[in-house]
Amino acid sequence: MSIFEGILTGFQVALSLKGLSFVFIGVVTGTIIGMIPGLGPITAIAVMIPITYGMDPALALLLMAGVYYGSAYGGAASSILLNAPGESMAVPTTFDGYPLAKQGKAGKALAIAALASFTGGTISVILLTLFAPFLAKVAISFGPAEYFALMLMGLMTVASFSSGSTIKALISATVGFIIATIGIDSQTGTARFTFGNINLMEGIDFLVIALGLFALAEVTSLIRERKERSMFDSEFGSMKLSKAEVKELSVPVTRQSLLGFIIGVLPGAGGTIASFLGYITEKKLSKKPEEFGKGSIVGLAAPESANNSASSGAFVPLLSLGIPGSGTTAVMLGALIVLGVQPGPLMISDHPDIFWGVIASMYIGNVILLILNLPLIPYISKLLKVPKPMLISLVIMFCIIGVYGISFRTFDLFLLVIFGIIGYFMARMNFPAAPMLLAFILGGMMERSLRQALTISDGSLLIFVQKPISATLLAIAFLSFIVPLLKTWRKRKSDGNAEETDSQAS
Amino acid sequence: MINTMNKKMGIILAVISAIYLYFSFMLPEYPYVPVDSDAVPIVLGFILLFLSVLLYFSKSEESEEEKLPKGEGKVILAVLGFVLMFILLLEPLGFVLTTFLFISINSRFLGYKKWVSNIIVSLALPLSIYFLFVSFLKIQLPSGILPF
Repeated sequence: MSIFEGILTGFQVALSLKGLSFVFIGVVTGTIIGMIPGLGPITAIAVMIPITYGMDPALALLLMAGVYYGSAYGGAASSILLNAPGESMAVPTTFDGYPLAKQGKAGKALAIAALASFTGGTISVILLTLFAPFLAKVAISFGPAEYFALMLMGLMTVASFSSGSTIKALISATVGFIIATIGIDSQTGTARFTFGNINLMEGIDFLVIALGLFALAEVTSLIRERKERSMFDSEFGSMKLSKAEVKELSVPVTRQSLLGFIIGVLPGAGGTIASFLGYITEKKLSKKPEEFGKGSIVGLAAPESANNSASSGAFVPLLSLGIPGSGTTAVMLGALIVLGVQPGPLMISDHPDIFWGVIASMYIGNVILLILNLPLIPYISKLLKVPKPMLISLVIMFCIIGVYGISFRTFDLFLLVIFGIIGYFMARMNFPAAPMLLAFILGGMMERSLRQALTISDGSLLIFVQKPISATLLAIAFLSFIVPLLKTWRKRKSDGNAEETDSQAS
Repeated sequence: MINTMNKKMGIILAVISAIYLYFSFMLPEYPYVPVDSDAVPIVLGFILLFLSVLLYFSKSEESEEEKLPKGEGKVILAVLGFVLMFILLLEPLGFVLTTFLFISINSRFLGYKKWVSNIIVSLALPLSIYFLFVSFLKIQLPSGILPF
């Protein structure tokens, strides 16, 4: 099937009335969830998974693509209206988005964010269409050694790029991997760390971990803020943009869309880095850098197009290699597997309809976001007026339905609560949660490919360095782990010296 | 001295990795594969042990954890209690009834004072979700003591 034919079949499903309505439902639901402070795409996708259970996979994909884009946009909307970013990648959106809203230009800010996301998404999906089949062709020659090296590199870079201490991020990742070892070992049939509990035999469902660490843990900060009235009351203003404004935005938005895509494809980097980098570069390149932070439209558009483009770029390794590069794509992988879709290099050649279905869904999700969702934003944002106590109860209820709807066991609900508690303490002690989720999802795959590789080499570890691709990937993984550690060590050493001189002086 | 958060966490994590390593070494042997099921857990256990030592000796970059405002810990614990009750009663009482009780009581506890709208939401929402799941999505939620 040629690329063109593939796209056409993909769009055929997406453009049916049923298809469009599912995208629309997804976009609106995603926007609503994304608008709730603290909840982002990970929660939105995780909560929607049980609903897609048993649905026609093509339609379910459309729904999920809608949820994905909708929740990212909902996060931008809460950044603009409430100065409350749902997750780290929406933080730069607040820098200029919130000042614009305070000036009574909320409508315009929301329109710019939607337009910038749309452009970023469009450029990114086009590049994805061209790039993913190529990467998949390369990946067909990959053996277990290369896969293992690739996943290790992805995990290491995510850990070293995440905010805060690298050691803490690595600990998060290791613990995630350890949790993945619970259950029956697929190669030997040995029950590991189940302590005779039947419920643990199949391992822990990733939904339990995603909803526990992200949604349920976030409930505690909602509880602490329950008395604050963080609603948006000022005027929305017009949503129209002038021709001059569109012209001013066109170059930065295009530039950031391209840059965002490249960052998104790299494992580990992703939306957060893209949006911060986008904001900083446009500020440097701008003729009016003094406007940044006070309501510059370029300052709002740049991070939005960059992070949306990066989010779609992250689908390149997910679809062509079957390997997620971030927490969000990891949950997306889980959602795809529930639908019976196994991404990977063979998907494009064996199931082109599904591959192009995903691409078409993403594109349609993007379009619907702009033309149907945007006009509804003033109404959707009324939901922000739902009182916090009620909101907290509802978020907890959705987490419970999400887990129960897929496992039908109260045991998993208790696990959910345990992971919620772990997530709460991790957040308080600045342990990032994303590496844990990613390591948990990659863990099973990594162990399998490691053991397959060692079976091929008859137990010799040399297989990983004798193959050029895996050797290179492992070298990158090693460097991304060792460089930040060396940095902190050197910093510590110089700090230590300073302290010594201090004590001598006193 | 165990004064900083990093030192405390380092020790806790070292203990966890020791326990994990103990159980990894206890895993039964399976002689017909080149890499047995205990290999990866043992490596992971040592990595975690190594990282916890690093954490113990690393300087806290951030200021000590913020203290919770007075009484907030109790509020969070109370909500935790409600959630546990929700889970325990879900199957015996059924989804609609348990969710109704949870939403109304939890929202009231956290400071939502309008009884009428509270009751309406906490009745209407579980009912509509229940029928959406059972009739449209064909996902059976526990019906419990209610007849439908």
